[in-house]
Amino acid sequence: MRTFGLTLLGVLMAAAIAAPVLAPYAGDRQFRGWLNAPPTVPHVRDDAGAWHAPFIYKWTLTNQLEQRYEQDRSQRVALSWLDGGRIATSSDPRMPLFLLGADSYGRDVFSRLLYGARISLGLSLVATAGAVLIGALVGGIAGYAGGAADDLLMRVSDFVLVLPAMYVALALRSVLRLVLPPFEVFVLLTAIFAIVGAPLIARGVRAIVRSEKQRDYGVAALSLGAGHARVLVRHLLPAARGFLAVEIVMLVPAFMVGEATLSYVGLGFPDPIASWGTMLHDASTVRAFADFPWLLSPAAAMFLVVLALNLVMQTPGIAPVYNTADGPARRLRANTHPVRS
Amino acid sequence: MLAYFARRLAFALFLVFAVSSAALVLARLAPGDFAAQSVGLDGRTETMAEARARYGLNRSIGEQYGVWIAHAARLDFGQSLLFDRPVADLIPERAANTAILAFTALLFATLVGLPLGVVSGSRPGGLLTGTIRAASLVLLSMPPLLTSLFLVFAAARTGWLPVGGMTSTTSTSAGDLLRHLVVPAAALALPLAALFERLQSQAMSGVIGQPYILATRARGIPRSRVIWRDALKGALGPVSSVYGLVIGTLLSGSFAVETITAWPGLGQLMLDALRARDVYLVAGCAAAGSVFLAVGTLLSDTALALVDPRQKEQIEVRG
Amino acid sequence: MTLAISPACGRSDTKTGAIAGQEPRRGGQLVVSARTEPRTFNRLVSREATTDFVASLMQARLVRINQVTDEVEPWLAESWTRADSGLEYTLTLRPNVTFSDGHPLTADDVVFSLAAAYAVPISADSLEIDGRKLAMAAVDPLTVRLTMPVRYAPGLRILNNLWVLPRHRLEAAFKGGTLAAAWTLAAPPSEIAGLGPFVLSAYSAGQRLVFARNPHYWRKDGKGVQLPYLDQLVLEIVPEENTQLLRLTSGASDSTISEVPAEAYATIKRAADEGRLRLYDLGVGLDPDAFWLNLKPGAFAGDARAGWLQRDELRRAISMAVDRQLFADTVFLGAGLPVFGPETPANKKWYSPDAPQTPHDPAAARALLQSIGLTDADGDGVLEDAKTRSPARFTVITQKGRPSLERGVSVIRDELKKIGLGVDVVALEGGAVIEKIMSGRYDAVYFHPYLSDTDPAGSPDFWLSSGSLHFWNIGQKTPATEWEKRIDELMARQMQSLDEAERKRLFDEVQKIFAEHQPAIYFVAPRVFAAASTRMINVTPAVQRPQLLWSPDSVAVAP
Repeated sequence: MRTFGLTLLGVLMAAAIAAPVLAPYAGDRQFRGWLNAPPTVPHVRDDAGAWHAPFIYKWTLTNQLEQRYEQDRSQRVALSWLDGGRIATSSDPRMPLFLLGADSYGRDVFSRLLYGARISLGLSLVATAGAVLIGALVGGIAGYAGGAADDLLMRVSDFVLVLPAMYVALALRSVLRLVLPPFEVFVLLTAIFAIVGAPLIARGVRAIVRSEKQRDYGVAALSLGAGHARVLVRHLLPAARGFLAVEIVMLVPAFMVGEATLSYVGLGFPDPIASWGTMLHDASTVRAFADFPWLLSPAAAMFLVVLALNLVMQTPGIAPVYNTADGPARRLRANTHPVRS
Repeated sequence: MLAYFARRLAFALFLVFAVSSAALVLARLAPGDFAAQSVGLDGRTETMAEARARYGLNRSIGEQYGVWIAHAARLDFGQSLLFDRPVADLIPERAANTAILAFTALLFATLVGLPLGVVSGSRPGGLLTGTIRAASLVLLSMPPLLTSLFLVFAAARTGWLPVGGMTSTTSTSAGDLLRHLVVPAAALALPLAALFERLQSQAMSGVIGQPYILATRARGIPRSRVIWRDALKGALGPVSSVYGLVIGTLLSGSFAVETITAWPGLGQLMLDALRARDVYLVAGCAAAGSVFLAVGTLLSDTALALVDPRQKEQIEVRG
Repeated sequence: MTLAISPACGRSDTKTGAIAGQEPRRGGQLVVSARTEPRTFNRLVSREATTDFVASLMQARLVRINQVTDEVEPWLAESWTRADSGLEYTLTLRPNVTFSDGHPLTADDVVFSLAAAYAVPISADSLEIDGRKLAMAAVDPLTVRLTMPVRYAPGLRILNNLWVLPRHRLEAAFKGGTLAAAWTLAAPPSEIAGLGPFVLSAYSAGQRLVFARNPHYWRKDGKGVQLPYLDQLVLEIVPEENTQLLRLTSGASDSTISEVPAEAYATIKRAADEGRLRLYDLGVGLDPDAFWLNLKPGAFAGDARAGWLQRDELRRAISMAVDRQLFADTVFLGAGLPVFGPETPANKKWYSPDAPQTPHDPAAARALLQSIGLTDADGDGVLEDAKTRSPARFTVITQKGRPSLERGVSVIRDELKKIGLGVDVVALEGGAVIEKIMSGRYDAVYFHPYLSDTDPAGSPDFWLSSGSLHFWNIGQKTPATEWEKRIDELMARQMQSLDEAERKRLFDEVQKIFAEHQPAIYFVAPRVFAAASTRMINVTPAVQRPQLLWSPDSVAVAP
C-alpha cells in the first residue's frame, strides 16, 4: 500500500516535471474555434473493426453560441509522435489532440493539467511542509515547555489563526509592485500558506506532546541523560505522526484551492499560467456539471495526490507492539503503561 | 482552575481587541475605499470628498481608529457603510444564521464521521475500511466551492430540495428551514465528517495496538465493547484537540458555501465587507470571528482535559 | 435591433412581447432575483443597481424615458409646455394622485424633491447642467415651473433622474441635515411612502424583499384597469450567478434583474426549448468595455517609454492589431458585434455608422509602430524603442471577477503579442482598480464605464474634457489636445441646439473625431440576452438593465 502511494506520488511529480514533453501543447496555447471542445479519445480500431495506428475522430462545431460539437466518425486523424519535442500530438492542425477536452479559452485541459501540476503540487507540498515544520516546532515546544512559553506560543498562534488571511493578503497586495513575477508569487503564497496552516498543526502537536510528555518513557529518557531537544524531537514528536498524516492530507488540497481564492485579491498566478485551483475555479459553473465534465479533471488529479499522500503516510495500524521502527521508546512505553479496564 | 479561566478570558478579550484593530487598519490600508466605490468612476472630486466626509473616511487611519476604539469601549461598533445599519445589529443577525448552519453541520459530521472513523480504524483491511477511507479522501480533496455547487446543482436537477436560500417566502415553519438547511449543511458537513473520520481512524489504529487493549480482549471482553468503550476513550484526543477549533471556524462561516447556497451568514458578510472596504463592518466581523475562535480554543482545551486526564497534570520534567 | 423570442405558445408580438391570447390581468406574484442587496431605500444616497431597481418599484418620476422607444413619456407630469426662450418649462401634474400612504401629491412635493436631491451630492451630480442647478417653483398645487440654467437640448430627459419624494415624510430630515441618513434598510416599511407601483411589505435581511401592490397607484392600463397587474413582487438576493441560473431553470424564480451572460445561453436555451423559460435575444447592447492608455500629460515623465506610450499611432496600431471577430468569438461565443467607439447600434438615434472603423491589419499596425520608433532590433519578437532601447511593454489593469473583462484582456494581450507589444495583465479587485484609475497611476486599463444617458448631451461627464468620466485623463480641466478642444466645442453646441438634425450632425462629427484619435479603444459590444419564466407575460424587453423589468407596473402573470 505504502509503495503504491509512493509510486503514485512519484508518477505525478514526474508527470509534472516532464510536462513539456508529455503535454501535447503549451499550457497557454489557445485554439480558436475550439472553446469547451469535448475530449478526443484515442482509438486503435475503427467502427468497421480494422486496426490502425492510434487515431482520433474529428469534432466539428455545430453551434458556436451553444458550444455544441458533433463527432464525425468518418474522419480519422492520426496522432503524430515525437513531433517538436512532444511525445504525442495530432497530425492535423485543424483537429488538435484534446485528451481531456478544451477549456473555455480553447486551451487543452490535459496539457494545462500537467503544467498546472508544477504550480499546484509544488506550492501545496512546499507550503504544507512549511506549515508542518513551523507548526510541529511551535506546538512541540509549547507542549513540552509548558507554562509561560506555552501560553505565549499558543496565544500568538491563536492570533494568526483568527486574523482573516484575505484581509492581510489584500493589504499586502497593495504594498507590492504591480506586476509580480511568478517566482515571487510562488514564494509569497508558500509563505502565507505555511503561516496560515501552522497554528492548526501547532494545536494538535501541542496536545499530543503534552500527553506524551507525562509518559514514563519520556521521563526515563531524560533521566538517562538525553537533552530536552532530543527528547522532544526523537521521542515525543513521532507520536504525532498519525495526526500530522491527517492534517497533511487536509492541507494539501486546501492550499491548492487557496491559491485560486487568493487570486481574487490579486495575489495569485496571472492568467494564462495554469494551476489546478484556478482551473477548477473557472470550471465551477452550471454548464461544466451539465455539459463539460472534463473541465473538472483537476479535482480527480487532486484526489490522486491526496490518495497518494494518505497511502504514504498511513501509519501502520494494528501492528505487533514490539516490531516497530522506534524500538526502544515503544518498548519502554509498552512496559510501563497502566492497564485500563 | 478559576485562575486559568480568568487568564484565558482576559486573553480572549485582548485577542478580540487586537484582531479587530488589525482588521480595521488593514481595511484602511487596502487600496480604494468605500466612498470611491459607491460614487463610482464618474464621481466628481467634490462628490467623492463629500461622500468621504459623510462616511468618516477622510480622517487619517490613526484618527479613525481612535474614534472607533472610543466608541467600541461603549459597545457602539459603528454604522455599516454598506448596509447603513448598526454593525451591532447586522453581525448577530448573520451570526445566528451561520450558527444554525454550523451546529447542524457539526452534528451531522460528528454523528457520521466519528463512528465511521472508529470502524475503519479498528479494522486494518477489508472492503468496508477501504470504502470509508476512499470516501473520506474524495471529500477531503474536493474544494468547498465545487462541493456546494454540485449539491445545489443536484438539488435543482432532482427537485427534491430548495435551490439555495434560507427560507421560503411563504413559510416560516421549522420544516421549511430544515429543508433549506440540507444542502448547505451537507456541503459543510461532508468534508468535516471526512476529517473527523480520518483523525479518529488514525487515533483508533494507534490505540488498538496498545497492550492494554490486548489485555482487555484477553480477559474475554467482547470485541465491540473493547473498541467502542475502552479503545475509543483513549483515542478521542486528536478529535478533541481540533473540535473547538472546528466549532470556531464553522461559526465564522464559510464564504464559498454561504454564497453558493445563498445562505445569508457571517462568512459572506466578512468578504462582502472586505470587498466594499466597509471598515466598521470589517472590524466587527473580525471581532466576531475572534470571539468564536477564542471560545472554540477554550472549548477545545477543556474537552481535551476532560478526555485525556494526562493533559490536566503538569509534571515538571526538569530535574 | 432585433427582438427574438424563442418558442412559446401563441403568436408573439415582437415589439411589445405580448403573447396573443394572453391578456394581462390583475393578480399573481413574480419572483425576481438580484445578486446584491439594495444599499438603502433612500435613492438619493446610492446609484447601485439593486437600489435603483427597488426605487423604480416604490418611487416615481415626473417623466419617464421609455426604454424601448427612448422617448420621454409623461408620467407624474401629465403634460408640459416649453417657453420660447427654451429655458422654461411649465409642467402640469396629474390630478388626484396620492402617495402610498394616502397623502396627496402636490407641486410642493416636486419642489421639495429637487431641493432634497441637491442636498446629497451623489444625486445632485445627475441633475446639474454644466455644473449649474435647475430651479423649480410651485405655481399652484398642480403646476410646477422648471427653469434650466442654460439651453439644454435633451430637455426634460434630465428629469428622469428626479424621484418625487414625499415632503411630509422627509422634510424634517431635510431641514435637520440628516436626509442622507433617512430611509435606511432598518427603516420600518410604514415609514416609506412613494408614488411607485409597489410598497415594501416585508424585508428579510440578506434574503428577500417582498413588495405588495400600492393600492393608491395612479396609473391605469388602456382598458382602465388599475396597475400594477401583480399582487406581489418578491426580490430575492442570490449572490452567486450560478445559483441564480439554477433557480431560474428549476422554476424557483421567474427572472433576474440582470442579463444572462453568453456562457449561460445554452442552459437557458435548453430550458426554453423544454417550454420552461422564455429566452429574449435583445440584440447588441450599449456601453461596451473600454481599453485606454493613460493620456494624462506628464504621467510617464521620467519613464523610458514616454516617447511612445501616449501617441495616437500606438492606439491606432492597437486597434488594428486586435481581430475583433476573434474577440467576439472568444469572449462572447460569437454573440457580439465589433464596435469602434463608445456608441453602438443599440443607440438607434445617435449611433453613427459612418464613423471610421479601423481595419484588422496587423502589418499596418507594425508599420505604424515602426513610424514612432518601435522596431524589433534584436529579433526576439518583442519591439524595442529605437532611441532608448527599452522594450515595448506596458501593464494593463483590469477587474478580477468579471468574465468579459478578464477574457477580453487576455485576447488583447495575445493579439498585441503578435505584433510585438508585450502586455502584462494585472487583475485587481474592484476597489483597487477604481483607486488606480482615480489616482492616475497606471499604464493602461480595461474596464467598463457606463454612460448615463443614450442622449450624448446627457453624458457630458464623458464627452467633455472637464468631465469626471473623461477617464483617460482624470481630473483635467481643459482640453489637452486639439481634437479634445474640437470635441468640446461640438458638444457644447450639441447640448444647446434645439434642432434635432443639427444635433445629430454635430454628434456624428464628434464620433468621427473620437474614432480617429481613439482615446479609448472599443472592441466588441456583446449581444444581450434575458430570460424569464413562461408565467411572465406582457413583458416589454429593452437593452438596458433591468431588461425585462424596467416597467414593473405592466408585467403580469399568465392566467
